[in-house]
Amino acid sequence: MNTPAAHARRDALAGFGMDTITLAGPLEARLAAMAEAGFSQVMLGARDLTGHPGGVAGAVAALRASGLRPTGFQVLRDFEGLAGALHGYKVDIAQAMLEMCAALESPVLLACSSVSRHASDDPEILAADLRKLAMLALPLGIRVAYEGLSWGRTINEYTTAWDIVCRADMPNLGAGIDSYHILAARTPLDALDELDPERIFLVQLSDFMWRETQSFEDRMTTARTFRVFPGEGAHSEAVAEIVLRLERLGYGGDYSFEVFNDDYQQLPLATVTGRARRAAAWLREDVLHRAVPLPAWAGSHPPAR
Amino acid sequence: MTPDIDTPAHREAIPASDNPLGMEGIEFIEYATRQPHALGQALEAMGFRLVARHRSREVLLYRQGAMNLVVNAHPEDARVSATEGGAPVISAIALRVDDAGRAHARCLALGAWDVASHARAMELHIPAIHGPGGSRFYFVDRWREFSIYDVDFLPVADADPAPPALAGMRYFGVVQYVGPGRVDDWHTYYERLLGFTPVPAHERFGILPKGRLMRSPGGAFLWQLVEPLGWDDDLDMPQESLQRIGIGVPDVADAVRQLGARGVRFVDSAALHPEDRGALTETVLGGVAFELVLQPRSPS
Repeated sequence: MNTPAAHARRDALAGFGMDTITLAGPLEARLAAMAEAGFSQVMLGARDLTGHPGGVAGAVAALRASGLRPTGFQVLRDFEGLAGALHGYKVDIAQAMLEMCAALESPVLLACSSVSRHASDDPEILAADLRKLAMLALPLGIRVAYEGLSWGRTINEYTTAWDIVCRADMPNLGAGIDSYHILAARTPLDALDELDPERIFLVQLSDFMWRETQSFEDRMTTARTFRVFPGEGAHSEAVAEIVLRLERLGYGGDYSFEVFNDDYQQLPLATVTGRARRAAAWLREDVLHRAVPLPAWAGSHPPAR
Repeated sequence: MTPDIDTPAHREAIPASDNPLGMEGIEFIEYATRQPHALGQALEAMGFRLVARHRSREVLLYRQGAMNLVVNAHPEDARVSATEGGAPVISAIALRVDDAGRAHARCLALGAWDVASHARAMELHIPAIHGPGGSRFYFVDRWREFSIYDVDFLPVADADPAPPALAGMRYFGVVQYVGPGRVDDWHTYYERLLGFTPVPAHERFGILPKGRLMRSPGGAFLWQLVEPLGWDDDLDMPQESLQRIGIGVPDVADAVRQLGARGVRFVDSAALHPEDRGALTETVLGGVAFELVLQPRSPS
């Protein structure tokens, strides 16, 4: 993987990564397939660690051996807005997930907005709980990205999620932007311009194949079984606009392809990582018009390493 | 205080206050080490005296003036220092507060991590939260009417239980190293959990006036957050730690002279003269240094 051609391939994919949830098979095989395709980062899920035959330590060792860096770790669900024993229970869960996140040396924990009917809808209470979550993450050096699920009970758009992030006002609490939820909830894109790019801690990209998802039920089912890579779905123009707006805003962080797709789970790994590469190339060249750097061996300078 | 803490919380009433924990200073500072004798020698050179030993664990209490310093060589606790290349590390700061239980509960409600107690029968259970690196903050409320050390420690025979401070030394503050881009995070930690306030940029003390300076509620001591130079973004996040103790003295040159006579060496000590603002001891045992800071004696 250290040939000049491999370097050039990695440079072309810099800033883009895949989610482990897109691929089937053992963690080692999935990580190897991503690295082979030229990706240098990976978004991991808690099940990658708990389902590993070597446990958390085995999964951490697999990540280290792959050479990929962690983009983030997902996902803490239904944390905010609970009271009493339920709140205490969720704090325990959050602490356990933060410890897993720290074991991976992942810089970001993704927390998505609550779907619980037991949760408060008072924005001050939601903000106070996220402030607490960020405080729990703080000594571990972890940043919390709060994402509005499009079927969240109270918070189901990036606009309202951002409002809660601002109310909570913690330096290590920011927004997690997921194109799927923006498209599914049909949230206007112009509000993206209001975000602080320094407080966007993660951007996840995917699309889907039909025009609309009217009900929460539709959104959930589509989200969990039939997302596709950017450039493959019915909303390519909107995905492109999201990325362009974020770039114009000054977002300089990572993009990860969060593509839950039942079909991709049945295809060879290289077939799926090939589609991910194509998505990255579409974003880089056709959307962002970024110059693909010349391979190191083609330039006048010697390879950097 | 930040306004957010003072907004009514839904689970408990958190009163608005400039000093939410009733903090009144540092009760003790603890080092963890597997080299208690070598560290003890370094502390004695600094003027500390061994005054007591823990009843059940390998823990020693040093003291001079109002400064209590605990050397923890209990194997479970000293393991912390093994990760620092064997160098002693500042493993805990005990804070004097109004009500330790309430201070602890308030911090947990705001998102601090609890530290499990290992107190044995008849020993004090001192509530604590996790701080930077592997360190802890203890909350102590029994310091007016009696000493916590009377419960857990046995006095060393023939030792003066209250040795005077050399050169008028007293705790001035703590320097904490933070990871790249982490100053705001830790600022928020001390502000929201413990009620520290930032010191205006024009107020500076000592010889290394960099980083973010914060003052404890009540003003008894300072906290300095320093992002060390030379940490590379490409490398793994370096260990964050409580790096050194700041000691206030009324006359820096006098303190340097007295400590020098006891074998303490200073960084660039030749350049010091009486009006100097501070001095830094050479690092010993791979990580132990003290910073002297000019602090005029208070009228009391």
